[in-house]
Amino acid sequence: MAADGNIGKIQELIYEIRVCDVMKGNVITVSPQTPMSELRRILREKRISGTPVVEGDKLVGIISLDDFIRWMAEREQDCPIGEKMTRNVQTLYSDEPLILAVNRFDQLGFGRFAVLDRKSERLLGIITKGDIVEGLLRKLEIDYYKEENQRHEEQHFFEDILADKSVLFFRYDVMGHDFKRAGESASRLKATLRRLGLNPQIVRRVAIATYEAEMNLIIYTDGGRIRVRVQPHEIAVRVEDSGPGIPDVDKVMRPGYSTAPEWVRELGFGAGMGLNNILKCSDKMDLRSALGKGTRLSICISIEEGAKSEAN
Amino acid sequence: MKLTELIQELNLDVRSAKGHLDREVTGGYASDLISDVLAHGNEGNLWVTLQVHQNIVAVASMKGLAGIILVNAREPEQETVDKAETENVPIMVTEMATFELVGKLYSLGVAGM
Amino acid sequence: MKLKDIERILGAEIVAGIGLREKDIEMACGSDLMSDVLAFMKSGSLLLTGLTNPQVVRTAEMTDLGAICFVRGKKPDQETIDMAESKNIPLLTTPLPMFESCGRLYRRGLPGCSEYTE
Repeated sequence: MAADGNIGKIQELIYEIRVCDVMKGNVITVSPQTPMSELRRILREKRISGTPVVEGDKLVGIISLDDFIRWMAEREQDCPIGEKMTRNVQTLYSDEPLILAVNRFDQLGFGRFAVLDRKSERLLGIITKGDIVEGLLRKLEIDYYKEENQRHEEQHFFEDILADKSVLFFRYDVMGHDFKRAGESASRLKATLRRLGLNPQIVRRVAIATYEAEMNLIIYTDGGRIRVRVQPHEIAVRVEDSGPGIPDVDKVMRPGYSTAPEWVRELGFGAGMGLNNILKCSDKMDLRSALGKGTRLSICISIEEGAKSEAN
Repeated sequence: MKLTELIQELNLDVRSAKGHLDREVTGGYASDLISDVLAHGNEGNLWVTLQVHQNIVAVASMKGLAGIILVNAREPEQETVDKAETENVPIMVTEMATFELVGKLYSLGVAGM
Repeated sequence: MKLKDIERILGAEIVAGIGLREKDIEMACGSDLMSDVLAFMKSGSLLLTGLTNPQVVRTAEMTDLGAICFVRGKKPDQETIDMAESKNIPLLTTPLPMFESCGRLYRRGLPGCSEYTE
C-alpha cells in the first residue's frame, strides 16, 4: 500500500517539480581554451564526470570524462578543450517540468544536460539523472515530514475527550545499574506524549527531566518506578526508589555537587547537574529522601498556554 | 601566541597563577574527559573544559599544559584554585561555551592538531 | 549549513542517517558531558563529542538534536548506530580532534548554541 502510494506520488511530482528545483547551480565551467591536460585535475578535484564549456556568458559545448578518456586512448598531443568537446549541446530550460528531462535522458542516453534561462539563454546549472533521483527523494522526504508533523498537530487528544475530569496514567519500571538500557523509559514516555499531540517544547521538558531522573535511578539505586499523570492542564512525574536515600538533600541540589563514581563521569554523567536540570525543566519540584528507605522526586510541568519555556 | 595575548583578546578572567601567564601556547585541546586529556594532550596546549574539580590541575601539571580555560561560566572549586596556585597552573574562566570559545581561539591562530 | 557541508569540512564519514545529508544544521555545541547537553543545547543543533556510548544518542533524542559528530575517529557500536537510525538522528565520525573540529566549523560560519538567535 505504502509503496504504491509513493509511486503515485512520484508520478505526480515528476510533473509538478521543475528542472530548476533539482539541478545543481554554481556549475564548474571550463573555457574552450583550457588545455585537455588540465581537465583531469578539474574533474578529479571537483569530483564531477563532465562540465559545460562556456565562452563569456554563452554555452558553447560540453566536455565529459568519456571525451577525456578517448583523448587519452588516442595518445594525441595536448590541445584546447574546444577541439574535443561536444558542440551540439542538448539543453533544457530551467522552467520546464521534470518529466521532460526524464524523457530526454531516455531518448538521448546522455549523462547530463545543461540548463539555461529561457530569456537570457544564460547557463544556470546542470542536471544529471542522479540529481533527479536525489531531488525526488528530497521532496518525498519533506512531504513525508510535513505529513508526520501535520498528523501530530491535528491530533489534540484531550480536546476529543468529553468529561468533567480526564486523567491519563503511565508507569515505567527502571532497573538499577543497567547503564546500557538507561533512557528507555524516558524515550517511551516522550513518544507517547508526542502521540497525544502535546506541544513539542513541553514534551521536550518532560523528556529531559524524566531522563535525568531515570539516570539517577540507574546510577545510584537498585531501581525504581516512574509514574506519569497527564491531565489537560499539566503533566506530573513522580520518581520513586527504595534506597539508599540521600544524606543531605540541600547539598545535592548544589550545582556541581556529585558523588558519582569515576566510571559514570567518564560516560558523560554525574557532573552534579542532573537535579538542577530537572528543576530548570519543571514548574514545580519536590525532593524528599530518607536514608536507608528511599527517595521520592515529584515534578510538575504545566501545559497551559503561557507556561514558561524551557532554557530561559 | 602567548597566553597573555589570548587572555586579553578574549577577555578571559584569570583565577590562578597570575604570575605564570607568559607561556607560549603551542595549540589547543578541548575535552571534558580527564582520561582523554591524559592520553592526547600535548605540552604547551591550552585546555578547554567544563570540569572544575581538582583533578584537572593534576592533569595539566603532569602534561605540562599552558593553562586551563573553564567554559559556560563555570567556577573552579576552592581546592582546585589552591592546587593550581601551588602547581603554577593558570586557570581562566569565560561565559562562552566550548564551541564558540574554541572557534575564537582558532581564529587567533591556536590550532587543534 | 547542511549536513553534507559538515561532512566535507570535517572530512567526516556518515555512519547513520545517510539519507539526511541535505538536513539543515544551524548551530553547534561541543561537549562530553551529557547533563550539560541536556541543560543548554537547543533543538536541531549539532553535537560534537568524544563519547560514543548509547546515552549520547538518547540525550540527542531527548533534546531533539539535529545530528551528532564523534571526534578523534571514534565510532559507536552497531547497537548505538541502530538506535540512531530508528530515531532519525544522523551520526558522523571525523578523524579530527574536538578543538580542530570546532575551530573549522566556526570559521566556516556555523554559530554556537549560545550565540544563535532566531
